[in-house]
Amino acid sequence: MSPNRQNQLPATNEDTSGPYFPIAFGDPALEDLTRFEVGMVGQATGTPIILRGKILDRHGDLAHGAIMEFWQANAKGVYRTPATKDNPDVENWFHGYGRLRSHTGYYEFRTILPGAVAERAPNITITLFSDGISRVVTQMFFEGNDANADDPILQTVGEDAPKLIARHDGRTAKGEEVYLFNIVMAGDGETPFFDDLES
Amino acid sequence: MTRQGRLLEIGPTDNTSDQRTPRQLLRLIPEEARASFIPVVPARYASNPHEWDMTRVAPDRPRADGVPIEVTGSVKTQSGAPVRHALLEVWSANHYGRYRHVEDMSGLQLDKNHLGLGRVLTDEDGNYRFLAISPGAYLARPDIGRWRPKHIHISVSGGASRLITQMYFPDEPNNQSDPMAILMGDAFERNIGKPFEPANNDLDEAYRFDIVVGGRNATYFE
Repeated sequence: MSPNRQNQLPATNEDTSGPYFPIAFGDPALEDLTRFEVGMVGQATGTPIILRGKILDRHGDLAHGAIMEFWQANAKGVYRTPATKDNPDVENWFHGYGRLRSHTGYYEFRTILPGAVAERAPNITITLFSDGISRVVTQMFFEGNDANADDPILQTVGEDAPKLIARHDGRTAKGEEVYLFNIVMAGDGETPFFDDLES
Repeated sequence: MTRQGRLLEIGPTDNTSDQRTPRQLLRLIPEEARASFIPVVPARYASNPHEWDMTRVAPDRPRADGVPIEVTGSVKTQSGAPVRHALLEVWSANHYGRYRHVEDMSGLQLDKNHLGLGRVLTDEDGNYRFLAISPGAYLARPDIGRWRPKHIHISVSGGASRLITQMYFPDEPNNQSDPMAILMGDAFERNIGKPFEPANNDLDEAYRFDIVVGGRNATYFE
């Protein structure tokens, strides 16, 4: 990670996924991180949650066909990366990466409530791909968490912070905590997105 | 001047781009939050061994119509380090410009022997290779006569950031009018495959497409 960017290779341009990202690349195990694989004993520890909401365009219409990718720490606040390979709090049955294609613009993602990483409030990074855009990235937080007040991402967006905080909407009969989080891709009420290439 | 994030541009003549492109500047990520933005796609999400040959629907089925091509290249970070074991997800239209996607309503000809998608991994040196049918161009905006030039979609998981890109073909007449190519400007050149003579008689054309994954988040992979 050199600050000297002059010697760097020019990056390949990002480009739109277009409308035909193969549905065949979907994987049910990436849409529900609370269980690792169908028919197998072994699951993540922590509080199961359902994260659901709408993806909207600048006219308030559902952005159908969007691909969402999720990235989060486990319940103990540890990301599973090459750097944490030997961390005893990494879990075998939780990798923290999810992906789904929202056919209609409504989405539902099942996972574990992430734990807090040092200096951060619990959060999930969301990457969006769709026709018309190449890639946008944001991070969502959970209503009622005391750490939200000091989180550097929520602080940096200032008065837009509520747009990144999912609303708690009760608990299902099965014990899953439900959170509602809408993403507005453009226009009025636009969700703050982040620049991970220039930052 | 205070540093700012990019303003994403709207592709000319692209209605979906107008509907979905954020209008605000992208926000810069505070240093203490940077690491949290790099997804690590688990290795268990991997390729099937036959998927490198996308010119047929299965190893025991005949080759699809059109021009079979080889696409090969490297995947590197901006500092030049190879990205090993990266997952490439590839999809493209058939010879007639039709995708097998259920939402492709173009009415263009399907080819029963063309699947048009597959997944490959980069090797120990960060290199990849696959076979595909040279995709047809198709009329994306019949109302204004704008075509999408021949292109192959490639998604790369691994390296400094998530990347979805497209490989274009040299000297295609529709390259100049493509909305995304217009936004890329001179940098569009980087997204064009470089032709070379295929070693295998079985193939008509071969292209080299070296991919460089942008971003400073190279921590885990170098």
